[in-house]
Amino acid sequence: MRDWEAVVERQLNGLTLEPAESAEVIAELAAHLAESCEEWRRQGMTEETAARRTLSQVEDWQKLRRLIQTSRKKENVMTNRVKQFWLPSLLTLFLSMGLLMLVQFFGPQPWIIARKSAWSLIAPVAVVYLPWLFSLPFVGALGAYFSNRAGGSQRAMLSSIVFPVLPYLAFFLLALPVTAIFHDGLGHNIMFLALFVGLCAWVVAPAAALLTGGALVQVFLSRPLDSRRIASGE
Amino acid sequence: MIGPGIKRGTAELAVLSVLEDGPVHGYELARRIEQQTKGALRFTLAALYPMLYRMEQRGWIRGSWEISQQGRRRRCYRLTPAGKTKLSPLRKEWSELFYALQRLTKVTHA
Repeated sequence: MRDWEAVVERQLNGLTLEPAESAEVIAELAAHLAESCEEWRRQGMTEETAARRTLSQVEDWQKLRRLIQTSRKKENVMTNRVKQFWLPSLLTLFLSMGLLMLVQFFGPQPWIIARKSAWSLIAPVAVVYLPWLFSLPFVGALGAYFSNRAGGSQRAMLSSIVFPVLPYLAFFLLALPVTAIFHDGLGHNIMFLALFVGLCAWVVAPAAALLTGGALVQVFLSRPLDSRRIASGE
Repeated sequence: MIGPGIKRGTAELAVLSVLEDGPVHGYELARRIEQQTKGALRFTLAALYPMLYRMEQRGWIRGSWEISQQGRRRRCYRLTPAGKTKLSPLRKEWSELFYALQRLTKVTHA
């Protein structure tokens, strides 16, 4: 009876994985070859013919070694995650921040939503930069496009699109309530309304604008992408 | 026989579909795919394991060592929750593609 582990070990010589991982791969492939050989033997082949037939499953051991190395490296998953989620997300975040700064410095006066008394504005006040809001569909579209192009899932695309509003969401859900608890100077009676107005102006409206652009890109690209994924087997 | 381009695309769907019925080791997985597709899809060792490792890295399947009745160590693969989630849209995509091709080529069931 053949020592299949020795055969595989010799053929995959130079496999650059951790020793324990290499041993696992060798044992697994050897078990497969052994079962395959036994099956041929059960069908009446001689030991020699069965072994030859079994080994013919691998035409190029060097190619198999390369494929195994590539498929078992965790970096590939990381690279995919970076390409499909982190890069599009950071792109949308920095682009939206940059556009907001430009609008604040060079754009028209913001739209201020507040009740007015005779002498001042009454809190809660929302400051809305309309040109910025109108530019966000373009940012969302870019996020969706790059995530989609990298083969990102629906979830990765959606996360990339709405990523720019996450810092604001964190601020309103965490920083503002915590400040209200520990800061005596804040009027607690206006907190819930302020939270609601702030969330609408800085989270809901921008997220809706971003998603509008992202959804449009998805509608335009989804059909060709589905076909492309099927063809490439991704 | 189905050509290599289409086979590449069907491979993951085939593996996930077989594993949906329960955990199996690599050899048995290849055997079942061949049997259930009447030989149209056939996986050699060289094609099967790089794909299984890639799918494992993506978190769709998980392998664990078990001892067979003959006392041989074998690595059994099972579907993960992420794999189950992946299977449903993959099935839909393929079904849409086949339906579209069927309409295009006017091929009907014999």
